[in-house]
Amino acid sequence: MSTYTLSFAHLYGDLMNTYGDYGNFIAFNYYAKKIGVQTEYHLVSLDDKFDAEAFDFALFGGGQDYEESIVAEDLKYKVDDIKDYIENNGPLLAICGGFQLLGHYIEMADGSKVDGISVMDHYTTNMYQDNLTVLKGQRLTGNIVIKNNDTHEEYHGFENHQGRTFLGKDERALGTVISGNGNNGMDKTEGVIYKNVYGSYFHGPIFTRNGNLAKRLLVTSLERKYPGIDWHSQLEAIETESF
Amino acid sequence: MTLRSIVARATAKSAHWFLHDVMHRGGTSLPGKLAVAIDPNILKSIQQDFDLVIVTGTNGKTLTTALITRVLQAGGYEVITNHSGSNMIQGVTGTLVTRKIKPSSNGKKPIAVLEVDEANVEKITHAIKPKMFVLTNIFRDQLDRYGEIYTTYDKIIAGIKHAPEAVVLANGDSPLFTRGDFPNERRYFGFNHISPENYTPGPAPINTDGILSPTDHTVLNYDFITYANLGKYFSNSDDFARPNLRYQVTSIDKLTPNYSTFAIDGTPLRIEIGGLYNIYNALTAFSVGREFDVSPEQIKTAFESNAQIFGRQEAIHVDGKDVTIVLIKNPVGTNSVIDMMLTEDHEFSLLILLNANYADGIDTSWIWDAEFEKLHDTNIKAVATGGERHKDISVRLKMAGFEDQATYKDLATVVQAIKAMPTEKVYVAATYTAMLQLRQQLGSAGFIKGGF
Ligand SMILES: [Zn+2]
Repeated sequence: MSTYTLSFAHLYGDLMNTYGDYGNFIAFNYYAKKIGVQTEYHLVSLDDKFDAEAFDFALFGGGQDYEESIVAEDLKYKVDDIKDYIENNGPLLAICGGFQLLGHYIEMADGSKVDGISVMDHYTTNMYQDNLTVLKGQRLTGNIVIKNNDTHEEYHGFENHQGRTFLGKDERALGTVISGNGNNGMDKTEGVIYKNVYGSYFHGPIFTRNGNLAKRLLVTSLERKYPGIDWHSQLEAIETESF
Repeated sequence: MTLRSIVARATAKSAHWFLHDVMHRGGTSLPGKLAVAIDPNILKSIQQDFDLVIVTGTNGKTLTTALITRVLQAGGYEVITNHSGSNMIQGVTGTLVTRKIKPSSNGKKPIAVLEVDEANVEKITHAIKPKMFVLTNIFRDQLDRYGEIYTTYDKIIAGIKHAPEAVVLANGDSPLFTRGDFPNERRYFGFNHISPENYTPGPAPINTDGILSPTDHTVLNYDFITYANLGKYFSNSDDFARPNLRYQVTSIDKLTPNYSTFAIDGTPLRIEIGGLYNIYNALTAFSVGREFDVSPEQIKTAFESNAQIFGRQEAIHVDGKDVTIVLIKNPVGTNSVIDMMLTEDHEFSLLILLNANYADGIDTSWIWDAEFEKLHDTNIKAVATGGERHKDISVRLKMAGFEDQATYKDLATVVQAIKAMPTEKVYVAATYTAMLQLRQQLGSAGFIKGGF
């Protein structure tokens, strides 16, 4: 029997769960199971403590504006733990609203501003900003393809967001936009990589359609918890779903 | 009525007559456009001729509207109603100005029961004041043109505010419908079929939308959930809870894919269609009927004598296979279909066809919010996948644990796919345009007549 178990935190999984974000967990779990690794799912929601030591992987999905503003209030009590987790190289996938909330602030469609937790250096304006030269006043919606600059892997997904995110100086993009709009429609960046945090606007969800990325974060999580085992070649033997 | 209104009505009626009776085309918006062009106040000028009931919400409008119509007719009312294809302002205007109403012999005022698109409620209430708003539910849909469930509800409220005298008859099981600041009297219907000793208090499953309390924004708990975010909810932090129900499902006796038996306020009822969500549709119609003093016996008769209007899940025979086609379009609807399959006693196979054209929703990510994992609890024997986005749906089912599946990349092979299934009973679940293609294939192979 397997003795390897990854503890999975779903941040606000009951509130931030639009457009199949949960599918990222399904895919992560699918590849883990194939190599005999168990996963333990934990919902971390309003008023719950996020114990930075307790988790091997975290997912933070997107939500509707109302839920996002409630979550933003609650996040203030989790900032230190989330920062610890990130700075200690905890693997985290943040999609859409989750990605936005890790940065400095978010400007909602109605112009109101919601505080992020500034554990990362990006910020998000709304679609009406004067400096927008692309699709001002419109949601960025449609199929998107990007290329990761380190691995040259292509990722496929669907983007659907009004917010325009601009990366900070210590952040690099998850990929360069090949087709579609990405973070803001202007600078060809999509998503973010900072330490072991991967942020993206991709629905799809990103792990289901990009098995190579799911496997990469699975390996990262496993190596962090169970070093000295060749997880990579074990996963290599499993067919990668990519479409 | 002004001369202008008379001309407007006459023009619309003759356009309707020409399109409907001569050209055999229903559901066109042309008569409404013509009438409005001639007299923008046309709706105001005819509103004293009938009481208006507006049915709105994201799911179940069409069947609910049809059921309400039959129920009110059984109660002796003359009823005007619209087709699902004409639920925007032009279509509604067209329906009202071209109506054919016999003078009533029983002194009851005719009732117009109109299915209205959520974003068009306000446009209509600007022109005409309804007697009642009927709110079915609001679920998120990848097709949603208006974004969030709260935004959708706000559009409806904007319409309600124009008619403060109207009663709002709403699904009390949806926490959403307790929201909103408007003076109208609210009456609720819902499910109360579980006795308190069988309650299972707790939060909704994580992938459920709309579960925050409107009072203090805490996550709601439920004594029981019927489906999605519908059920008997309460707050742990204050005394917010589901409002008192005026009409309620008091028991559920049998659920099958083809019919359901249940009781509302103690009256035993049967509808010729499966799915818990259809019991909500029946409950809604029952509630409207009671509001207009239709007796429970008359409502029961209305349900039983109109079995054909439930005919959305059509049974088809393909070389010895007993095929049932169901439309899937969003996670809540798909979960309802899976729940219905849990009530299937026979072994069955499932073919799922996914397209992502505009009418299906171009984003396929919703399939990850539907609980295909639950299919393991049914009598399912085989799964096959297909459609233009066969890869997406095939990987979804694979990751749900159905690794062994045939995949049909080309919808032209769909008849073969059905024949290749190992069981006599075959369900085909398809998104909208996949269903049209499927019907075309079945039609040209001679298994169904005509188009749709
Ligand atoms: Zn999004």
